Amino acid sequence: MSGSAPQKWRMNQTQAAFVLLLPFLATYALFLIYPFFRGIWISLHDWNLMAVAFNPDAKEFVGLHNYERVMWGENITWGAFVNPLVQISGLIGLALSIFLRRTGRVSKVTAIALAIAAVLLVFLPGFHPGEGGRWYDRRFWPTVGNTMMFVGLTVPGVTVSALLLAAALNRETKAMTVFRTLFFLSQILSVTVVTLIWQIMFSPRQGLVANVTEAFGGTPIVWLTDERFAMAAIVITTIWWSLGIAMILFLAGLQDISKDLYEAASLDNATGLRAFWYITLPNLKRTVTLVIVLQVILQFQVFGQAHLMTQGGPNDTTQVLVRYIYQTAFRDSDLGRASAMAVFLFVIMGAFSVLQFVLGREEDR
Amino acid sequence: MNRSYYWLVLGLSTPAFVWLVPTIWMVSLSFQPNEVLARTTSTTFFGLIPYPFTFDNYAALFSFGQTPMWFMNSLIVATAMTLGVLAVSTTAGYALARLEFPFKRAITLICLVGLMVPEQAVFIPLYTMFADLGWHNSYHAMVLPRMAVPIGVFLMMQFFKAIPNDIEEAARLDGVTWLQIFWHVMLPLARPAMMTLAILTFLYAWNDYLWPLVSAQRPEFFTITLGLASIQSNFAQSEGLGRVMASGVIASLPVVVMFLIFQRYVVKAMTVGGSKG
Repeated sequence: MSGSAPQKWRMNQTQAAFVLLLPFLATYALFLIYPFFRGIWISLHDWNLMAVAFNPDAKEFVGLHNYERVMWGENITWGAFVNPLVQISGLIGLALSIFLRRTGRVSKVTAIALAIAAVLLVFLPGFHPGEGGRWYDRRFWPTVGNTMMFVGLTVPGVTVSALLLAAALNRETKAMTVFRTLFFLSQILSVTVVTLIWQIMFSPRQGLVANVTEAFGGTPIVWLTDERFAMAAIVITTIWWSLGIAMILFLAGLQDISKDLYEAASLDNATGLRAFWYITLPNLKRTVTLVIVLQVILQFQVFGQAHLMTQGGPNDTTQVLVRYIYQTAFRDSDLGRASAMAVFLFVIMGAFSVLQFVLGREEDR
Repeated sequence: MNRSYYWLVLGLSTPAFVWLVPTIWMVSLSFQPNEVLARTTSTTFFGLIPYPFTFDNYAALFSFGQTPMWFMNSLIVATAMTLGVLAVSTTAGYALARLEFPFKRAITLICLVGLMVPEQAVFIPLYTMFADLGWHNSYHAMVLPRMAVPIGVFLMMQFFKAIPNDIEEAARLDGVTWLQIFWHVMLPLARPAMMTLAILTFLYAWNDYLWPLVSAQRPEFFTITLGLASIQSNFAQSEGLGRVMASGVIASLPVVVMFLIFQRYVVKAMTVGGSKG
C-alpha cells in the first residue's frame, strides 16, 4: 500500500498496527489458542476434575489411552454389513456422488466431500466387537450415531422447508415482508426459551399438541419419554427454531437469479412448479450447498434441546455428543476422556469448516 | 397483483399461523392464573386466548424470585461483551485490513484459523483455567472467552478492506497519524458494520447457554437464559406454569424488541454469524 513511503512513516505504521492488534491478539492467545492446546494436553492425561483441583499433581500422563478408552474396545474386528442400513445408504451415497459428478450436477468439491462422507459411512460402522469382545465405552458410538441421526433429520428438514418458503416469499410486497418476519422470529429466541415452550407443547397432560390431538379424537403421544418419538420431538423443535437463517440465505440467493430467465421460461410455458424445478433449483445449487454445510456445523453442536427437553433419554436415544462431553467432564469429573471426545468433535467440525471455507472461496471466484 | 397472488397469501397464512402458535401460546399462558393452568391449559381456544386473564404472574416475578436479578446479569454481561468485542475487533480488523507491518499475512492467517475452533472444543480447558484463577461466578469469566473469538475481527476486516484508499490518503496528506485516522475517519465510516457486529454479539451473549452453565454455579451470577433453564424442570411443583412462562416472555423481550426495531441489522448479523451464531 505504501511501498514508497519514507522510512519514518513506515515505522509509525508498524507501531500503530501492533498497538491496534495487541488487545485482540492478547485475548485470542490467552482464551482461545492456549485453551485449545491445553485441551489436547488434558486429553493425554488421566485427569480427574476434583482430584486435580485439590492437588495439581494428581494427573498422570497416559498418552493416547483416553482416545482408546473412548473409541476402541477389546477384540474389535471389522466386517462388511455389520450395520447394513447405514452401510448400504453409504454405498448409495457413493453411487449418487459419482452419478451427480458424471452428469455435471454438482461441483467437484461437493462431489468429493459427498464421496468421502459416503465411504466413511460404509467403512466405519463395520467395526464391531468380535467374540468375547466389547467396547471400552459402550455409550460413545451410539451417542455419535444419535448426533448424526439428529443432524441427518434436522438438516434436510430445515433446508427443504426453508427453500420452499423462500421461493414462495420471494416478492417485495408488504404481506411477504410480514411473513418473513413471522417465520424468522423464532430464530432469535434463546435455546432455553425454545425448550421451555416445546417441552410444555409436547407435554401429554398440559401440552397444546396433546390437547389438539384429543380434540380430534386421538390419543395423546407421550412425546418426550417415548423412545420412538423423543428424537422426533427435538428435531421438530430444532426445525422450528433454526429455519430463519436458512430462509434468509435462500432469499438472498434467489435475488441473484435474473428475472429474464423466468420471463424466457414463461414463453415456454414453464411457470410455477416447473419454473422452480428447471430454473430456481439449478441456479441455487451453491446456496443449497452452503446452507447444508452451515446447518451441519450448527446442528452437530446440539446440546440444549437434548439436555433440557429429554435429558438424553429415554434410554439414551437422544444422548448427543456435546451432552456426553459435558456429563463426562462435569458429572463424572473425567476431564481426560471428555477432552478426548472434544478433540474428536473438533476434528469432525473442523472438516466441515474447511469445506465451508473452500466453498466460500469458490463462490468468490 | 393478480388472483394467484392472493391465493399465495392465503395459502401462506396457515403455515405462518402454525409457526407463530408456540410463541402465542407462551405469551397467552403467562397471562393466565396458575390455579387454572394447574387444571387445564386449554381453557379458551386451546389456551391461545388468555382468558381468564391476570397480571399476577408478572407481578409475582418482580416482587420476589430471582428473574429480575438474572435479567440484570444478562444486561451487564451482554453489554460488556458487546463493548469488549467491538473494541478488540474494530482495532484489529482495521490493522489487518489497512496497515502494512511485518508478518502481516502470517498474523492474519493465525487470526482466521481460530474461526474453526468451536466453543465446545475449548470449554473444558477454559473451565480449568478459570477455576485455577478463581474467576468463576463473575462477569468477566462470562465475557472474556467471547472476546477471543475472531468472527468480529473477520467482519470488520472485510468491511475496512472495502473502503476506498483516497479517503485515507487525503487524511495522510494532512499529516494525521494512523491512530487518528482510525479514530476520526475510519470508525465513523464503520458504523453500519459495528452495528451488525454489536447486534450479533449482544444476541450471542443474551442467548448463550453452555459457557454460563459451566462457569456460573451460583444463582446470583446466572444469566436469564441460564436461570430459565434452572426453573423449567420443576415448573409444575414450585413456580407455577404461568410464572415460568412469564419468565420466558421477559427473557425474550429484549431480543424480540431489538429484532423488531433493527430488523435489517439483526437478519444481517445472524446471516454473517452463520455457524458461529
